[in-house]
Amino acid sequence: MSWNFQEIEDTVQREAGCISDFQRLDAFRAKYLGRKGLIQEIYASLSALPHDQRPVVGKSANDLRNNISVIIETKQKEIKSLQAQSPAAEIDITIPGVAFAVGHQHILTQTVDEICGIFEGLGFVVQEGPEIETEFNNFTALNIPVDHPSRDAFDTFYLELPDPGHQGRYQLLRSHTSSAQIRIMQKNQPPLAVIVPGRVYRPDAVDASHSFMFHQIEGLLVNEDVKFSELKGLLTVFCKRLFGEKIKMRFRPHFFPFTEPSAEVDISCYICDGKGCSVCRRKGWLEIMGCGMVHPKVFAAAGYPEGKYKGLAFGLGVERITMLKYGIEDIRLFFENDIRFLEQF
Amino acid sequence: MKFSLNWLRDYVTIGVSPEKLAHKLTMAGLEVEKISNVDGDVVFELEITPNRPDCLNMLGLAREVSAILNVSRKTPKPRRLRAPSLAGLVRILDKKGCLRYNGTLIRDVRVGETPAWIKKRITALGMRSINNVVDITNFCLMETGQPLHAFDYDKLEGGKIFVRRAQEGEAVTAIDGVEHGLDPAILVIADARRPVAIAGVMGGKDTEVTAATKNILLESAYFDPVLIRRASRALGVSSESSYRFERGVDYETVKSGVDRAIGLILDSAGGNLAGRADEETGTRGRFRRQAIPVTKDGVNGFLGASLTTARCKKILQRLDCAVAAGKKDVLKVTPPAFRKDIKDAVDVVEEIARVVGYDELPASLPSVAMTNVVPAASREFRSAIRVPLLAQGANEIVTYAMISEKDLIQTRQAHLRGVKIQNPLARDQGLLRPSLLPSLLPVAVFNINRGQKNLKLFEIGKIYGPRGEQETLGIMMTGRFDEDWRRASKSEADFYDIKGAAEQTIARACHQEIRFENSSQPFLEKGQSACVLVQGVDAGFLGKIDEDVLVNWGIKQKSVFFAQINLEELRRFCPPRRSYRSVSQYPTIVRDVSLAVKTSVWFQQVCAMAFRMGGGILNSVKFSEEYRGEKIPAGQRGIVFSLRYKAADRTLREEEVNEVHENILRAFVAELGAVQR
Repeated sequence: MSWNFQEIEDTVQREAGCISDFQRLDAFRAKYLGRKGLIQEIYASLSALPHDQRPVVGKSANDLRNNISVIIETKQKEIKSLQAQSPAAEIDITIPGVAFAVGHQHILTQTVDEICGIFEGLGFVVQEGPEIETEFNNFTALNIPVDHPSRDAFDTFYLELPDPGHQGRYQLLRSHTSSAQIRIMQKNQPPLAVIVPGRVYRPDAVDASHSFMFHQIEGLLVNEDVKFSELKGLLTVFCKRLFGEKIKMRFRPHFFPFTEPSAEVDISCYICDGKGCSVCRRKGWLEIMGCGMVHPKVFAAAGYPEGKYKGLAFGLGVERITMLKYGIEDIRLFFENDIRFLEQF
Repeated sequence: MKFSLNWLRDYVTIGVSPEKLAHKLTMAGLEVEKISNVDGDVVFELEITPNRPDCLNMLGLAREVSAILNVSRKTPKPRRLRAPSLAGLVRILDKKGCLRYNGTLIRDVRVGETPAWIKKRITALGMRSINNVVDITNFCLMETGQPLHAFDYDKLEGGKIFVRRAQEGEAVTAIDGVEHGLDPAILVIADARRPVAIAGVMGGKDTEVTAATKNILLESAYFDPVLIRRASRALGVSSESSYRFERGVDYETVKSGVDRAIGLILDSAGGNLAGRADEETGTRGRFRRQAIPVTKDGVNGFLGASLTTARCKKILQRLDCAVAAGKKDVLKVTPPAFRKDIKDAVDVVEEIARVVGYDELPASLPSVAMTNVVPAASREFRSAIRVPLLAQGANEIVTYAMISEKDLIQTRQAHLRGVKIQNPLARDQGLLRPSLLPSLLPVAVFNINRGQKNLKLFEIGKIYGPRGEQETLGIMMTGRFDEDWRRASKSEADFYDIKGAAEQTIARACHQEIRFENSSQPFLEKGQSACVLVQGVDAGFLGKIDEDVLVNWGIKQKSVFFAQINLEELRRFCPPRRSYRSVSQYPTIVRDVSLAVKTSVWFQQVCAMAFRMGGGILNSVKFSEEYRGEKIPAGQRGIVFSLRYKAADRTLREEEVNEVHENILRAFVAELGAVQR
């Protein structure tokens, strides 16, 4: 087989002239320099040639290969600079990117996670309790006697499920997460620092700020020496982490049957900075949680020795805090699950 | 509870502005809800917590204010009254229901106009002026906290009062004009013939004081709080009196309260004190108080504060506690009888703390001891489930746990048993849901009605049954996803989307083997439903919701998919034991296979066959396509997949793979009746 190197060189030059993009350049490279390309074919043919011709053809082939390599290199630069100049190569970077749809966690469970996270960072452990509870855990053990006006604040759904431990009485839907206190204390000995998130139920007619189902988070810290000042300090740290350093707070005496002394915690209105607006009903303060020192009777119900332990407890409403934090005006939005609402968070 | 500033000034000197007073009251636990100017007076509205019935009157509030502002106070001087004892005027037949009843007979009163100063006081609190006798009973109620009632004595048959339980079938028309049916659970005041008042709740219309009344009988009593509360609730009637009785009135004010009223009536309505009966059932001792010992160090230790003994003592004395010095630093604190809420040392500490003001007390941080209390596994598992679902583009929802029986019927789940609520808020919320489906469908309806037809939703919530509650995952999908044409692959969600979501989620959370088996549920379409088996354990179901169910719920979209997974069952596999398997350094050899099989032959069987014949070098089977249509004979379908061969310890030789692959293909043909395409 003989090779007309001049003719090949001409074809190469002609073809190279037509190349204006990388695709064609790649095809060109494959045609000549590829594994099954012309140059390889020429080298393969050498063995069939008479001995004297082999160096000559070999050299020509080498030259040809070098030339083609140079052409490819030059073309590469050419195409690159051509593409850089050409407006057609630019893409509209303002067209939306192709994104994988990622779902949105419900804002209530996000808030629960955020609040639990703050307390976990302070050394608390998350515990949970059942929604279906006994009267003992929900009321009696928490020093809320039957037929006492203090039960007015805790209207409760009763279930058609008999209480196995109390004949003639029925189980109920817990009206607060405080019901978990007794379960936890009966199971564990102090020191204890637990936080209990969960759903609770009260037969409140639904309106913009009331719902018969809502979420609470209960906190409980028990040890041999726990002081009222520590309740103040702990909740101050919590509120500042949740609402920001600038928030002002106040502790107002209140009454809860299961704590003594008891307090409600107010923060300066998030909306008006305490100047007075419709959200805080012109008070400048927003009530965000209840708290107090664990009542000795609760310890007695848990079976702890009298006088040995002190404790602090607090409870907060997740919906209320979420509404304040994000300016949500109607509690029903949480449970309608309009995806235009869900996807904002 | 409303109170008037001018009235309060009768008892204490107030040197601060109304706003400042309101703030101080609020910060002492008597939250001021509202302040308004009424006719030259300032009226405060207070929220009084149920433990403080002693604050439901002007004298009680004056006591609080004197402690908070640290000023002295004066109380109206009792008038000396001389009256013959009228034994037999009152008979207490229910000695547990009524501990004390003071009946006073005043003859020849002139019922008429109320003195202006009294009228001004009670109208400031929003009470309507009726006549001098009634207004004075109301005035004394607000001043002393003792509920009083005046009967027209001449209308009491037999001229005597009986305190007894009502008899079955008795009724009384109260002064609100409503006739109330009574029963033996209700305590009544009766004359010789019939009930004339619902004890502690409301007087009767027949015997009320009118302009024609000449002789009156004044009632002042102590009724059992529980009995009054039950009666008030049973009858649906609440009054200023019942509100106070159920919280507990002061046993001592039964006499002093009525004495105040008698004095005012004699002054303004004339008449003469004809006699009185003060019946007690002999349980007076129960109101006697024990001294509670406290120490300054005890108080300060509890509060983390540094208050002086003198300050603590002063506060308690202003609140009418008797404080005596005991041995060493001990203060013996005897609370007044009307402060039933002060029982233990912590209660005394609270009194001191709230009067000082919580804001004045120091704050510090607790030292939280590390413990081995194990965090709730349920919460961690919930996020293990939530994360893969969110990553797959599903939105988390939260729905109400209550549904109705009707919801179950239209979801074709009437066979499931929820938990009935005895006192539901509304008829359509009478049942705790036994399934998440009736909670998720309304969310689909709500969104679809608002034009949001592409939904991928999930909820992690409880379902309920006779055996209690169970944490459950529900997933619902409908419509199309990947609307972007650059990635568009198929038009609408189908069975494999819900299956994939459930599979992926369980796999990520539990790392367990999952199998799907044919199953049927009345609310899922036949042939498009499966049960989910994790390690052979039934963990839930998924499938296409039956179109009839969708029609019942008013959903026009035909393809809605639902999965329900029992998370408590799944959690038993968590945390999974996981160990590393070395990654093979050797190449994978891939062989594509295209078969026509009978529609009754499932892909799962094909895979099982492949592995059985795979000689240990078949690494995985990757599904790529299913085809049904003209090019395939009826009753058959085409499936395309690839078999991936790999060995952990060597590079597979071509011949080796060919041999195994041929064996597999032969088995497909021979055992599954497949035809190679």
